[in-house]
Amino acid sequence: MKVTVCIGSSCHIKGSRQVVEQLQSLISENNLTDKVELGGTFCMGRCQEGVCVTVDDNFHSVTPEGTKDFFEKEIKSAVM
Amino acid sequence: MNNLCADIGYKSINHSGEQLCGDHVDIINRDENSAVVVLADGLGSGVKASILSTLTSKIISTMMADGLSLEDCVETIAATLPICSVRKVAYSTFTIIHLINNETAEIIQYDNPLVILIRNGKNYDYPKTELNIGGKKIYKSVISLEENDIFVAMSDGCPHAGIGTAYNFGWERDDIINFVETVSVAGYTAKTLSTIIADECDKLYGFEPGDDATACVVHIRKREPMNILFGPPSNRDDCDRMMSLFFSKEGKHIICGGTTSSIAAKYLGKPLRASLNFEQSDVPPIAYIDGVDLVTEGVITINKVLTYAKDYIDDNESYTQWSCKRDGASLICRLLFEEATDINFFVGRAINPAHQNPELPINFNIKMNLVKELSECLRKMGKRIKISYF
Repeated sequence: MKVTVCIGSSCHIKGSRQVVEQLQSLISENNLTDKVELGGTFCMGRCQEGVCVTVDDNFHSVTPEGTKDFFEKEIKSAVM
Repeated sequence: MNNLCADIGYKSINHSGEQLCGDHVDIINRDENSAVVVLADGLGSGVKASILSTLTSKIISTMMADGLSLEDCVETIAATLPICSVRKVAYSTFTIIHLINNETAEIIQYDNPLVILIRNGKNYDYPKTELNIGGKKIYKSVISLEENDIFVAMSDGCPHAGIGTAYNFGWERDDIINFVETVSVAGYTAKTLSTIIADECDKLYGFEPGDDATACVVHIRKREPMNILFGPPSNRDDCDRMMSLFFSKEGKHIICGGTTSSIAAKYLGKPLRASLNFEQSDVPPIAYIDGVDLVTEGVITINKVLTYAKDYIDDNESYTQWSCKRDGASLICRLLFEEATDINFFVGRAINPAHQNPELPINFNIKMNLVKELSECLRKMGKRIKISYF
């Protein structure tokens, strides 16, 4: 599974750094590093909906507060 | 003509308790390849010394730059300087470094510590002729410039640093030479090198300088072009034109901005790979495109670069940050402040609709202002700047 987080200007201001850091630790806590590939990208062209995250090309709008829920629902349940 | 240029920078520390510095450095560029640098040290410290040294350096630099003779300059100073009511003399020592066509340096020294010349990393003992002008003993030297020559002019506050505390006789000339030989290897800019020397003096004085101390560095170096792309063009059809002009330029290439780097990656037919490494910094991570020297995010990164640039031309306190960190802004700073001498800006005027939100501190006007302010700072650092808008 490939998870890509936008680190462009707009998403950066909306907290992409916190999203990335939470995802990094959640992925390693759940021992999913060999199943989930976390990557960055610049602008996805949907800044209004940031922080923009794609999971295997499916678009999601994530907030720093909602990162844990997003991880449980979209990443953990899909790969486990 | 050659492809050399001079990077000139200086830094002073004040006599403890004084708000004004009794040393003054004045730099006049008569044309792109000639400059007159004057370091003057006024008698005493505080206001009086500051007036004497400012007058001296201004008068000499202006007169020399207009081609008047040294004798005329010295005579004018003797006749102009106000006489100290306590000491009954008008007195300011001076060092002149006159760069001619970036080929020759004429050095004229009156009572300041002798200029140190580092050539090929070692102290170079240059010949001096003694002149007598109006009863003043003045040394004159004419030196053919070579790449990587580093001239260090100082006021006597530098060799006097640490007298009686750190050293018996202060920071002796040979020790200063050793110090400069060692630190100059790192390839710092003139401004940073002078800051390091002045900071060392401050340290030797125990952070309570007993005199004003100034270090002025002239570093002779090769011209180095650099190109920076910032923002997509206002008209989509101009993308290819902008990219081909940008990539055809000699020198390194920096790309700032998410959309901008996507356009460049598409133009080059190479993938754009973003890193997720935050490098303990408040600017977004950098990215990579084969064939591009540096790819960063746009407004936030450039804003940080501008903050560093403003500090650099002022107190230069943050060089300890940008000179070693690995985040996008620091990397740009090292390329622009240290490496580049000629910088071409390629600025796109497209408006990103997503940024025109009053809650986001990154709208279009802010972007254009960033370019204006940053280019102004870089000019003050002595860089040649060209800006093209698309």
